[in-house]
Amino acid sequence: MSKDKAGINELNRRDFLQAGLRFGTAASALAAGYAAVPDAFARAVYAAKQAGVNNDNVLVMIQLAGGNDGLRTVVPLQDPKLHDLRPILAAASVPAALPLNGAFGLNQNMPGIKALYDQGKVAIVQGVGYPNPSFSHFESIRVWETGDPTRRQVEGWLGKTLTQNYDSMGHPLTACACGTTDIPGALRDMHATVSVIDDSRTFGFQGGSKVESAAGTVWKGTPGIYGALFDTAISTVQQSIASVRTAVSRQGNVKYQDNAKLVYPSKTELGAALQLAASLITSGSGVKLLHVTLGGFDTHQTELQRHNDLMGYLDQSVSAFYQDLSMHNMADKVLVATWSEFSRRPQENASGGTDHGAASAMLLMGNPVKGGFYGQAPNLGNLDGTGNLRYTVDFRSVYQEILNTHLGADAKEILGQTFDRVPFLKAAAGVAAAAVT
Amino acid sequence: MTASRAAPKAAAATAARAADWTSPLTAETARITHLLRRATFGASPDELEAAFQLGYGKMVDKLVETAPAAPPAVPGMKGGGGVDVDTLQQWWIDHMLATPTPFAERMTLFWHGHFTSDSTKVGTDRPYLYWQNLTWRKMALTDLGSMLMQVTTDPAMMVYLDLSTSTGKSPNENYSRELMELFTLGAGNFTEDDVRAGAKALAGWRLPTTADKSMTGVFEKRRAYSGGPLTFLGRTGQIDTKGVIDAILASPALATQVVTKVVHHFVSPSPEARYIQRLADEFRASKYDMKTLMRSVFLSPEFIQDPSYRSLIKSPVEYMVSVLKALKAPQLSKTVVDAGQNMGQMLFDPPDVGGWPNNDGWISSNTLMARVNFVSTVLGRMRSLPTVKDLGQLQLDGVLGSGTTTALNQAKDDRTRWMVVLMSPEFTLK
Repeated sequence: MSKDKAGINELNRRDFLQAGLRFGTAASALAAGYAAVPDAFARAVYAAKQAGVNNDNVLVMIQLAGGNDGLRTVVPLQDPKLHDLRPILAAASVPAALPLNGAFGLNQNMPGIKALYDQGKVAIVQGVGYPNPSFSHFESIRVWETGDPTRRQVEGWLGKTLTQNYDSMGHPLTACACGTTDIPGALRDMHATVSVIDDSRTFGFQGGSKVESAAGTVWKGTPGIYGALFDTAISTVQQSIASVRTAVSRQGNVKYQDNAKLVYPSKTELGAALQLAASLITSGSGVKLLHVTLGGFDTHQTELQRHNDLMGYLDQSVSAFYQDLSMHNMADKVLVATWSEFSRRPQENASGGTDHGAASAMLLMGNPVKGGFYGQAPNLGNLDGTGNLRYTVDFRSVYQEILNTHLGADAKEILGQTFDRVPFLKAAAGVAAAAVT
Repeated sequence: MTASRAAPKAAAATAARAADWTSPLTAETARITHLLRRATFGASPDELEAAFQLGYGKMVDKLVETAPAAPPAVPGMKGGGGVDVDTLQQWWIDHMLATPTPFAERMTLFWHGHFTSDSTKVGTDRPYLYWQNLTWRKMALTDLGSMLMQVTTDPAMMVYLDLSTSTGKSPNENYSRELMELFTLGAGNFTEDDVRAGAKALAGWRLPTTADKSMTGVFEKRRAYSGGPLTFLGRTGQIDTKGVIDAILASPALATQVVTKVVHHFVSPSPEARYIQRLADEFRASKYDMKTLMRSVFLSPEFIQDPSYRSLIKSPVEYMVSVLKALKAPQLSKTVVDAGQNMGQMLFDPPDVGGWPNNDGWISSNTLMARVNFVSTVLGRMRSLPTVKDLGQLQLDGVLGSGTTTALNQAKDDRTRWMVVLMSPEFTLK
């Protein structure tokens, strides 16, 4: 699988340019198809539509795709029922866990996040879920992405946030999905523009400005049912290219401390995705909502090693990301949150793994966080009828706090109602937290 | 609250643009071209001429009835039988380009995206994904009953959805759930109890060893469930794998689910419920025979009515293979492998067990750029190009939007004309 083929287009660019495109000299129609990108896009200020939404805080959502085992992320250290339910997994996890307090420890491969916890920069919300949980990946992902357990909504919760609060069409880098080729469901909204940037080095049209012009001409204003989709796609391409060029050109202006080593892990694509996210943030592109994904959490079998590896990838990537932001004095503005469609069953199966479960733990990380434990500890003695953990915190409470306190948006508008407050953020200076009744 | 969102610019653009493509589908030749575009990877002028001679009805027969041509063996199998994913991907693309039965490849690709497995989990030490590709091709136009047994006992599938480690004492629910939710009945047509009962009923299969000399799973009674009667999809009794499949075949939801997927893939993104029902009733009555279904789809009025024209978007593999076919450049199959990730589709590596998206799911700013860049790459590697008198007519039915018309008129040489045509939205649509 060729995941690092950045070179493929460069190999042949010279060939192609030598046999380059030729258009007639009277190509004014072509020029019109290529919108000149005004300087506004290069500015670090984004256009906020709503009064009061004038902070420059940034949210980074890290999707742990497949169903992250909360009991192996935040490990109960003193619960004999854990050993009853999953003797093999518990015997391996509990002694190796990194204790946060007497009752819970982090997965053994998370020393970086543990260090952040010790600095008060990690909030752990336990028992996060929703009523009548679905055990289907697709349905539960959709619930988390739309903020709707009844699965009637189509738009993503952050997509709605974009539509209501930001001019994403005018500023297409407001929301970015990094390290992927798809728009994440959480960011989707019919009226929202989202940039999808797989790799900043190869981001753009090979073949130069003539190809850019021609593409702009042919893809605009097409007839048929996909006309609007194509219009949006090509506009977004053009604007994103301009903005990423600006962002990348501004990098390298910060001097690192002499003994500082900033290393993003290379074994996982999450490292590259967060590095790209950091460069978009620190170069003032105006990005506000970022989404990255770490896959592989559907550990029905041989969970022990695989889940430990994944925890390590998460830890190394987030640690490097935090360090990168700190070096650029941007760490105060950025909140990182993990999410996963469900947890795993407390009881292990015969394949060394666990099947789909329910309530989970969410990690909120960064300087804006008021560190500590929130929600209720999972009660392994009171599982529900399907043998799964019962939720105690509705995930929309977590979204509410992010929206109201970190982004300065109106959570009730976006989520449809108010939820119990989970106050895991320090109130940001200059932003009035929306009143929650 | 929601201030005007750049609406004026969009409204002006809408007013200036024609509402729909001018469908050419009243002409039989255009219908045949449309059929071949939808059912193969496009046709050369010679192939089109031969198809016109046959006529639409006989062309459908030919597509549906001709037995799938088997691919040659995979080059470079490692000792012990494993093969790299890149090699496997290129091998399949080579076959798509060379095969005399491209419809069989389209059907294999369809099932590949439906009965999914991926290389990350299945691994490449054993040739399971290679075997799966051969099996899916052989079974592509048979009936669902025999297909479901082959899918269940396919070694790659058994690894991917954990059936290979599921035992009666500790049943693994993964395959049971996805079999019903994604492969057959759809959400809402089974219960969590059915998932658990199904897991017990299906348990007992293991992967073949070299001693078994078999390309399918092996059932061992001692690994199976022995706990008495089960209740599955409303049936109670001693239920085994065949019992699970029989119960699924008896569910009315099966035909509707599969037909809906086929129609979304081959006909339209928004079919009418009556159309689905008509096809589903016939499909069910035919005991889920795929040839009957595909023939009915291609002969249905809905397939060739004007709203159907350009209502689907070519998936990345279809798009790229069509580009290479149009350029007569099968030697560049590796470019398809290299470009797959940026376009959102890598063979043997779907994003998840649900397979790949359809239609609008394929087009985002990134993937649009990737399609244009793919054409740049391919053209950059070709010293000479096929000369064509009227590219817009041959490749795009002569039905061009104003942007493509402008760019094509401005083009000064064949290379530029090929670039415009192949990277155009008209070529990406089908």
